[in-house]
Amino acid sequence: MADPLEEILRRASQNRVPRRSFLAAAGLLGGSAALAACGSSGTSTSSPAPAESSAPAASSAGGPTPAPSYEIEKQLYMYNWSDYVSPINIDKFKAEFGVEKFQYDTFANNEELLAKFQAGASGYDIAAPTAEYTPALVEGGYIQKIDWSRVPNQQYIDAAFKGLNWDPKDEYQLPKDFGTTGILYRSKLVSEPVESWQNLYDLTLGKYSGKTVFVDSMGDVFIMPLKMIGASLNSTDSGELEQARTILLDLAPHILALDSDTYQDKLASEEAALCLGWTGPIVAMRADPATADIKYVVPSEGSLFWLDTWVLVANAPNPNAAYAFLNFIQDPEVQAEETNYNGYGSPNDEAKKYIDPAVLADPAIFPPEDVMAKLEGAIDLSSDQHRIDIWQEFKSKIGG
Amino acid sequence: MAEPTASAEPAGGRRSLSALLTTALVFPAGLWYLVLLVAPLVIVTVFSFGNRAKNGGYEAAFTFDNYTRLLSQPQRMEPFFTSLWMAVAGTIGCLLVGLPLAYFIATRARRRKGLLILLLVIPFWTSFLIRTYSWLIILGRENLGGFIGAIIGDPDFRILGNPPAVLLGLIYGYLPLMVFPLYVTLERMDRTLVEASKDLGAARWATFRQVTLPIALPGLITGSILVFIPMTGEYVIPAILGYGRTFLMGNALVDAFIQTRNWPFGSAMAVLLIIVMLLVITVYVWFVNRGRHGREVSVI
Repeated sequence: MADPLEEILRRASQNRVPRRSFLAAAGLLGGSAALAACGSSGTSTSSPAPAESSAPAASSAGGPTPAPSYEIEKQLYMYNWSDYVSPINIDKFKAEFGVEKFQYDTFANNEELLAKFQAGASGYDIAAPTAEYTPALVEGGYIQKIDWSRVPNQQYIDAAFKGLNWDPKDEYQLPKDFGTTGILYRSKLVSEPVESWQNLYDLTLGKYSGKTVFVDSMGDVFIMPLKMIGASLNSTDSGELEQARTILLDLAPHILALDSDTYQDKLASEEAALCLGWTGPIVAMRADPATADIKYVVPSEGSLFWLDTWVLVANAPNPNAAYAFLNFIQDPEVQAEETNYNGYGSPNDEAKKYIDPAVLADPAIFPPEDVMAKLEGAIDLSSDQHRIDIWQEFKSKIGG
Repeated sequence: MAEPTASAEPAGGRRSLSALLTTALVFPAGLWYLVLLVAPLVIVTVFSFGNRAKNGGYEAAFTFDNYTRLLSQPQRMEPFFTSLWMAVAGTIGCLLVGLPLAYFIATRARRRKGLLILLLVIPFWTSFLIRTYSWLIILGRENLGGFIGAIIGDPDFRILGNPPAVLLGLIYGYLPLMVFPLYVTLERMDRTLVEASKDLGAARWATFRQVTLPIALPGLITGSILVFIPMTGEYVIPAILGYGRTFLMGNALVDAFIQTRNWPFGSAMAVLLIIVMLLVITVYVWFVNRGRHGREVSVI
């Protein structure tokens, strides 16, 4: 019995699914984060002379060097998703800027982050919420405007990730990583074409009834019915939502599980063949020969792209270290290491030169232009009563 | 030295000292209840009459909207009923497993008593979440689920993701809370009463029903309530073992507070849940106590 459990714990700690999971981070990751912290001090020796190699890289990239007049504090407090900054980069940052204490605390979802800020002074310098939460964070006065003259590496951010409606004037957020919501499936088990939400609907109602998993996330599940009827995934139109409701209730009895925490395990054990989910688990699953047939598609009707961002916390106790980090992390070579480590798309154009070619060529991580064009950013619609009512009805019907 | 005032003073001083000592000893417990029980209840009740702030959370108001919304839509009440029947079934399950077990440990285990109690406690040394995950493996398709499936010849047979798996998880998780109070009452039982009953010609079942069960009743009530209440609010077990297909109150509460950030609505649900639980427990205690004139069993 010990081995499979160990396997689950190992997987839970290694793949980056917990980025959006609730349970895993609540319990299991407490332990694994501690382990990762122990491990990072060990790996620091294997990174090639960090202090020397990065300094020339920064200057050779042509960006103006940060103003030296700021005295960088000896500590930095970060609030982030678990395993979301490469330990190599953390060590490199500490060595380069003389930061002795790098506090990395984790949250399991944006709501947890919001709740922490709402409860009062957080004491953090930097946080990494998903972009759709930026308006709420600004309105609450929890984050401050970023002085871009102190983050010259911002110039490498792709224009596609600037001026988005979450932060139309690019005042508060520095794009960090992006990803999509789509369909994961085991090509070994599913011989039919899986290209669209309509395919997923037909397969779930038909041959693969009881073999489809949905992530337990209202915003993500609504994409499927709304895109199937050609609506915006942010629709609040009553008629469109009613059509979505019909589709969801049709699907409900055929769903195997509503699970954001262990859906990759259900795919790995072949209990599930199809999954409405995130790209997170594919890197780890491909690496394992037993699950290497995993495929990920962004459905042809279009889907959602999410963007995680770096924000500067209001009244940050260590603003200079925070600015140093914001600029450091968008250094192209540093950013490339981030992407190679976490397997999410980077909005940094210059970094693409240094990213592992296999990662860069992966359409699941960096979708091609035509797919990108059909993606939509999410608006925070968690207050929409109509959606909530449909969501709960859907959940109650899943039980049978 | 023998003046009357002098002799009265030390007595009064002792009395006030003992009163002070009592206060000092009760104070931590009182503070505990005030801060961790009374205050949260007051907050939840106040919140339940509020509005959702624009970006989620709570905004002060006085409205019954949350309650009317809750009670006016049948699908909103569904998790209540699912939770209730799950908790009732789980409590009965705990009782069916726990009573014989407690009886055995209290009366038959002799020297192994300590060891058996220890074995009951040991699982508590591991995180509840990890223990629930290990059921995922035990019941999974590689093990028990697949084994049964192979026997009945259905490759798609699953235990997980269905109400029985959730029920099993509930009974497993809360069984010790049922066994301990039962054990304590049965352990104190005067064994000669059972012998007397047999001497007077009562059969085994009659002895159990008329002697053992009434003695065990206080433990039975305490145990039932101890397992029933947390089962009603259970969240982790349906999410993991139930694959999110069994939607209980705990899950509805998490949705309200986390996914939709509607604290006032979640608070209204919580208040309603508390009221429902109070009603169920009151009816239960009344039912168990009826006909026991003068020897009522208190809840705790």
